Amino acid sequence: MKPTKQDRLGMILFMTPALVLFVLFFILPVAYVLIVSLFKWNGMTAATFVGFKNYATIWKDSVFRRSVINNILWALVAACVQVPLSVLMALILNRKPRGWKFFRTVYFFPQVISGVALAMLWSAMYNSEYGLINGILRAVGRADLAINWLGTLNTALPALLIYWVFYIGYYMVIVMSDLAGVDRDFYEAAEIDGASKLQQAWFISLPMIKSSVLTCMTLAAVLGLRQFEQVYLLTNGGPANRTSTMVLYLYKQIQNTRYGLANAASVMLICVGVIVILGIRALFKIRHKPGD
Amino acid sequence: MAKHKTTVYLNRGDAVKAGLGNILKWILMLYFAFYTLFPLIWLIISSFKTNTELFGDPFALPAVWQIQNYVNALKVSGLIKMMGNSIFVGVVSTALNVVCASMLAYCISRFRFKGRETIFTFFAAGILVPLNALMVPYYVIISKIGLYNTRMGLILLYSAIGIPMSTFIIRGLMDSLSREIEEAAYIDGCGFFGRYFRIILPLSQNGLVTAATFQFLTCWNEFVFANLLTSSQNVRTIQLGIRYFTNQFSTDFVSMYAAIVISIVPSILGYMIFQKQIVSGLTSGAVKG
Repeated sequence: MKPTKQDRLGMILFMTPALVLFVLFFILPVAYVLIVSLFKWNGMTAATFVGFKNYATIWKDSVFRRSVINNILWALVAACVQVPLSVLMALILNRKPRGWKFFRTVYFFPQVISGVALAMLWSAMYNSEYGLINGILRAVGRADLAINWLGTLNTALPALLIYWVFYIGYYMVIVMSDLAGVDRDFYEAAEIDGASKLQQAWFISLPMIKSSVLTCMTLAAVLGLRQFEQVYLLTNGGPANRTSTMVLYLYKQIQNTRYGLANAASVMLICVGVIVILGIRALFKIRHKPGD
Repeated sequence: MAKHKTTVYLNRGDAVKAGLGNILKWILMLYFAFYTLFPLIWLIISSFKTNTELFGDPFALPAVWQIQNYVNALKVSGLIKMMGNSIFVGVVSTALNVVCASMLAYCISRFRFKGRETIFTFFAAGILVPLNALMVPYYVIISKIGLYNTRMGLILLYSAIGIPMSTFIIRGLMDSLSREIEEAAYIDGCGFFGRYFRIILPLSQNGLVTAATFQFLTCWNEFVFANLLTSSQNVRTIQLGIRYFTNQFSTDFVSMYAAIVISIVPSILGYMIFQKQIVSGLTSGAVKG
């Protein structure tokens, strides 16, 4: 439709609020982070320009490097374990076995429960004295294994990653909504040709849902990079900064009023995010281009 | 793609294979259900125990179901006040968010203009930006406008950060509406605003409800910025509430559990009622991203 004069006026009026909010809370903050990361600033006295010194400082900090590694690990586990599990369960539930709606509802629960509640729940589960996990270990007579899961150097990070990785509802539902759009005729034709259920899933379903799997992996990786609440509430980065993440690191810099360092960490986080997203896209293109 | 032709062998080997596949399928399905539900059930049962019972057999049921834990949770922590704050912040920011997003979505969906693609690109990037990285600027902006430690500050921030997602959800629905009714209305002299209020808005109700449900849930569950932007008990939301229970109930674990259960129940109930909207909100936002 060709916009009339009234349309043009209306459009300006209608788009302004959302765009102002977007500029104020997306564009401005990103610009702010980029600029302030080049300054030394404690929030009180005047900021001094230090160039890329903040980046050098955090990069020399072993806690920050550990945080980056943890974040990448987190993103990898989410994209390479959590998402494939979700796809598997989506393929199973897509066959509409008995009670599939119930299972879909249940798997999705962790998505609607707040991160704080989940963190508190698992903090209780892992508690060394009254937690369920150690309770079970004691009940089966293996009290020797009942350790402080979140407070031990070698178990803290796996404990955090493991409870997260089996919450598959979100990605499963995304994949399922894509699977629902696959034409049933394909399966019927395959059935007539004698393809087993497994072959149907592998040769029909999977190629058709490639794009939503890519979406899920991107999302999983991005959410992995954002990890904060779980770590902050369950271990606060401990023991000995073993479980720190980039967001937790930057949060601690804010608490110490080292805003320059905090923003340098923010910029690094955004950069790692961009690299990961582009990396996953490139991976999918390389692996699937021939034959498409 | 490679062409595959196999023949059906209706012999015993195949039947065994199918049976095994079936068993494996059910093991997986039950495992994930158990994994999600069991900790929750344990939490609910524990929230009715006494503290002494909690340290005992983890599988035992409470001898007497301690309703008192819930009374403690509600009394000690100011939970009711915090729930009120959460509802207020959630409702107002959802309203603000959906109004702004639907107006923008209307323009993007119904008109072609310069800069439309740019808005798209920026919004898609906006969905993927790790917002946690913007803690410092958010803190500075909200403080500068004098909204630190106010509910208005949270409302403003929540409505703003949900704009890209809501716009995508609502626009998705508006795009599916036919142009004919609109054109007829235009010929009948219905202007820019008339078409929005009388035609497009009523027809895109589903999209609005989806966006609103999704936005409200996000607000209700949000923790990081609520933690960053408030400092006093009066304006705290429910999520901060359960975070600080840990301090308040330093030894009274069962009351803490009761408080966690209280905070989860509205989310689960809301999910049961708005399941379709929440799921389609999450998926449509994801696919666009």
